[in-house]
Amino acid sequence: MATVQQPAAHTVRRGVQPLRAGQGTSFIWRKLHSLLGIVPIGAFLLEHLLSNFEALKGPAAYGAQVKFLNSLPLVRVLEWVFIFLPILYHAGYGVYIWLRGKSNVVYYPWAGNWMYVAQRYTGLIAFVYILQHVIRQRFMGISLPENPYAAFAKVQHELANPWILAFYVIAMIAICWHFAYGVWLFAAKWGITPGVTARKRFGYVCAVLGVVLAVGGLASIWAFVGGKYPNAPENVPVSSLTVPANAGGVSI
Amino acid sequence: MAAPRIIVVGGGLAGLAAVIKIAEAGGTVDLFSIVPVKRSHSVCAQGGINAAKNLKGEGDTTDKHFDDTIYGGDFLANQTPVKAMCEAAPAIIDLLDRMGVPFNRTPEGLLDFRRFGGTLYNRTAFAGATTGQQLLYALDEQVRRYEAEGRVKKYEGWEFLSAVLDSKGQARGITALDLRTMELKSFAADAIILATGGIGAIFGKSTNSVVCTGSAQSAIFQQGAYYANGELIQVHPTTIPGEDKLRLMSESARGEGGRVWVPRKPGDKRPIKQIPEAERFYFLEEWYPKYGNLVPRDVATRAIHKVVYEEGLGIDGQPMVYLDLTHIDRETLNRKLEGILEIYEKFVGDDPRDVPMKIFPGMHYTMGGLWVDFNQMTNIPGVFAAGECEYQYHGANRLGANSLLSCIFAGFHSGPNALEYAKNLPAAEGDGGHGAELARQAELNGKLLKNEGTENPFRLWRELGQTMTEHATVIRYNKGLKLADEKIVELLERYKKVNLSDRSQWANTSFAFARQLKNMLELSRTVALGALLRDESRGAHYKPDFPERNDEKFLKTTKASFTGDIAGPRFEYEEVDTQYIKPRPRSYGAAK
Amino acid sequence: MATKTVAFEIKRQANPDAPAVWEKFELEWRPGMNVVSAMMEIAANPVTADGRQTTPVTYDSNCLEEICGSCAMRINGKARMACSALIDNLEQPIRLEPLSKFPLVRDLQVDRSVLFENLKAVKAWVPVDGTYDLGSGPRVFPQQQEVNYPLSNCISCTCCMEVCPQFNEETGFVGAATIAQVKLFNNHPTGAVLKEERLRALAGDGGIQECGFAQNCVEACPKQIPLTKAISDVGRDVLVQKAKDWLRG
Repeated sequence: MATVQQPAAHTVRRGVQPLRAGQGTSFIWRKLHSLLGIVPIGAFLLEHLLSNFEALKGPAAYGAQVKFLNSLPLVRVLEWVFIFLPILYHAGYGVYIWLRGKSNVVYYPWAGNWMYVAQRYTGLIAFVYILQHVIRQRFMGISLPENPYAAFAKVQHELANPWILAFYVIAMIAICWHFAYGVWLFAAKWGITPGVTARKRFGYVCAVLGVVLAVGGLASIWAFVGGKYPNAPENVPVSSLTVPANAGGVSI
Repeated sequence: MAAPRIIVVGGGLAGLAAVIKIAEAGGTVDLFSIVPVKRSHSVCAQGGINAAKNLKGEGDTTDKHFDDTIYGGDFLANQTPVKAMCEAAPAIIDLLDRMGVPFNRTPEGLLDFRRFGGTLYNRTAFAGATTGQQLLYALDEQVRRYEAEGRVKKYEGWEFLSAVLDSKGQARGITALDLRTMELKSFAADAIILATGGIGAIFGKSTNSVVCTGSAQSAIFQQGAYYANGELIQVHPTTIPGEDKLRLMSESARGEGGRVWVPRKPGDKRPIKQIPEAERFYFLEEWYPKYGNLVPRDVATRAIHKVVYEEGLGIDGQPMVYLDLTHIDRETLNRKLEGILEIYEKFVGDDPRDVPMKIFPGMHYTMGGLWVDFNQMTNIPGVFAAGECEYQYHGANRLGANSLLSCIFAGFHSGPNALEYAKNLPAAEGDGGHGAELARQAELNGKLLKNEGTENPFRLWRELGQTMTEHATVIRYNKGLKLADEKIVELLERYKKVNLSDRSQWANTSFAFARQLKNMLELSRTVALGALLRDESRGAHYKPDFPERNDEKFLKTTKASFTGDIAGPRFEYEEVDTQYIKPRPRSYGAAK
Repeated sequence: MATKTVAFEIKRQANPDAPAVWEKFELEWRPGMNVVSAMMEIAANPVTADGRQTTPVTYDSNCLEEICGSCAMRINGKARMACSALIDNLEQPIRLEPLSKFPLVRDLQVDRSVLFENLKAVKAWVPVDGTYDLGSGPRVFPQQQEVNYPLSNCISCTCCMEVCPQFNEETGFVGAATIAQVKLFNNHPTGAVLKEERLRALAGDGGIQECGFAQNCVEACPKQIPLTKAISDVGRDVLVQKAKDWLRG
């Protein structure tokens, strides 16, 4: 074999590399991210929203709920293993996923593509919100595990700032959106709803779930700022408690 | 001795079939293709593939398939290879089935078969309306498997330029051009198989793909291979004329009541709906009151051609006539013809339920091709050919759904034969002619790249296409054929002044095209002159001045050989092998 | 009557190292024109709108019937097949750009060989014993054929990969086309013998997990292949396979 003419000096870029069949661990990390979004994070979200609902019954009921949660066995371990670490992982890996994707919704403004983008922004909002929420409500100010009955007032003081209130409202919607679509995505990607019809119908289910959660969540916020319990006491006196014994029945 | 090395040029059905057989037998293959093999023209075949499996209890046999094929080809095909093909067909279908082709099925899970033109039997296996695509993919997948195993090396994006012949005239490899880097290189092989498809491009627009230029066949023809039955070109009566190509419109449009017409007044400018019935010329219905719009394919083709070229009644002076379905209600149309009407809508943009379709006959298939012996070898030792690029299986007219079969059969046949030949090939003397051939190609390339002149190759090609389509397709007159040849000679002369608007050395499409064009021009002469010499009408070849088949003089294979002389190729004739079926008249009424 | 014209803006790049430039063309309008015929026109008369001589546009094309998969490019920003892009249905000036996710060769021509490599990586074939006559194939009921046939219609145009936000050099995502082929071959009675290998392959880096389910693939597919359904089905199978592998140790 011989060559007469010199080939041109240009080389074509390498481009996207082919599938690394069966190699690497990204599958397990990605699936872990996906799963953690449902359990425990999603489950915790449901629990949290239901607990928040107690606020509608007033500062005392709310305080009792906080007290109940803090009385769970090994609660500090549970908190880290089932809440903080999963959220940190889900968020961190989520950002990593986001950074590696390249949105093109400008060119392809299709519904699924919008939702793809929305899932990333709502995730980011959720994470920023949760981060400040945990820091300010769990680790700053009066310690709620030790003073559960201070919970209502602590939140109420927080929400007195209209900016923070707005942030809470936006974050509530974003989180419910992110969760509801996350459930839908989970079902689609894990092969639970492969068919077009199945995905469509489950889409309605998830939409209803999202709306219900968001409305419920916003209602809880309303409980703090709506004026029904103005200027809640810094720490509800134990004597004024009228909490039914089974108050904890709603949680987890 | 090292395992024989075979080069296969072309990655359509025939080429891939050959590759699979060679790789399976332990040979190593270099596979060359202009396009990624999965994008080869075989992908366009719609209808199906014939095999007398007799799964419908009709008593179909391979003998009947053989007879239909020979009869359909008007007895011009050599009978031995056709017989072998028809006998091999059922096993080929089985193999394709095993390879995973999603053929349509009966409720019992068996292969379904349908009826096609030119036969009375349900003999055509099909996969939806994309059988060619499905077969090509099945073979492509098998080749990919061998590629992954290292038995096959693909050179996709390389164009075959010539065979490398040693001092004894035997093939020792090929020269090829990398269409990206424009690198010219020679590759050693003990045998080469050309599977380079049809020659649609010499007719300008056809139903063929862009790569079907016949350039490779022409190159090998110019190196001494015979080109056989070049004049035999199949034209499909109803194609959709496009600005870029002609697309098939299924015959079922007429079957469901479509009417063919033109305005009586040449160049009538009125909107279609305002042309009253009386001023519409339903020429098929008037000329053939018995069959009307459902006259056989070739009759329809000729009638449309006549109305346009002899009576000057084409729509807006263009070579087009109406195929009208608008008198049929939408619901019926949607129920029966939705698929094909969607194709029209997609590529034309008009809704054929509202507006009559514009159609015209289009060049469709190349029955002729490189002359090969019963082992698929050309007269150049070591150069084999398979598929549409050779002449062996269809005689003067191809039967529907026989093309896919012939490609796979010829490919399967050529692979082991090439391997056998290669095993017995003595080692080359010296460099086997590689240096000389490379130098010749380098010189051609250099000259073309530097050529000064005023001719644009794409415009020369358009002129070639117009001439060939007008004179050498449907209706042929010796006067017209002479004009066509003169035009080709003129174009060859003007080609010397070709000026590339792109002289770069990277993915230069004008350069590659200009090289193909030269080959197209040379090959066109075998078509025009071959047709000029065949003073009879046979199969797809029709001369009003010689309306009858003339077995005494022309039951012969035309063999053209290149002379390099201005007088054109030299023609000789070879007896046709008719040992099994005696030639009998082929009448339009009986079959097809 | 003044001749009606069609305006084009084509992104040109003479080679991978050359700068990209936009060239404008003004062509005479003809009925039934599509993007490919316009480029043929430019090849026959390579002059820009401002009268400058240029070179014919390099692009891939072959069948022009939307079945070979060659002529995918971005037309007015969207990935699609040029042969079925009718001029009359497009907003002018018609902007032509190469696919953005694949290495550029020249002008509108890109290198899409990664898809064929991916097909190799997932063993997208039916491993037949040989081509000699072994009788008919396995029985396949029409219902199964109707599932497989659409998957087998994939023309390898790579539109699904181009429009996928997850298909890029960071992720090395395999893309929807290959995943659908995995489903096709796993569905075949004989092809299923490699099912586990294919599923494990798809769990590798760049595998099915990278899908973000934006569903652009199924929107862009010119052959309407149920790609999202394939991703969903194969996603489940991969997961089950990985779980089995883990339990088996």
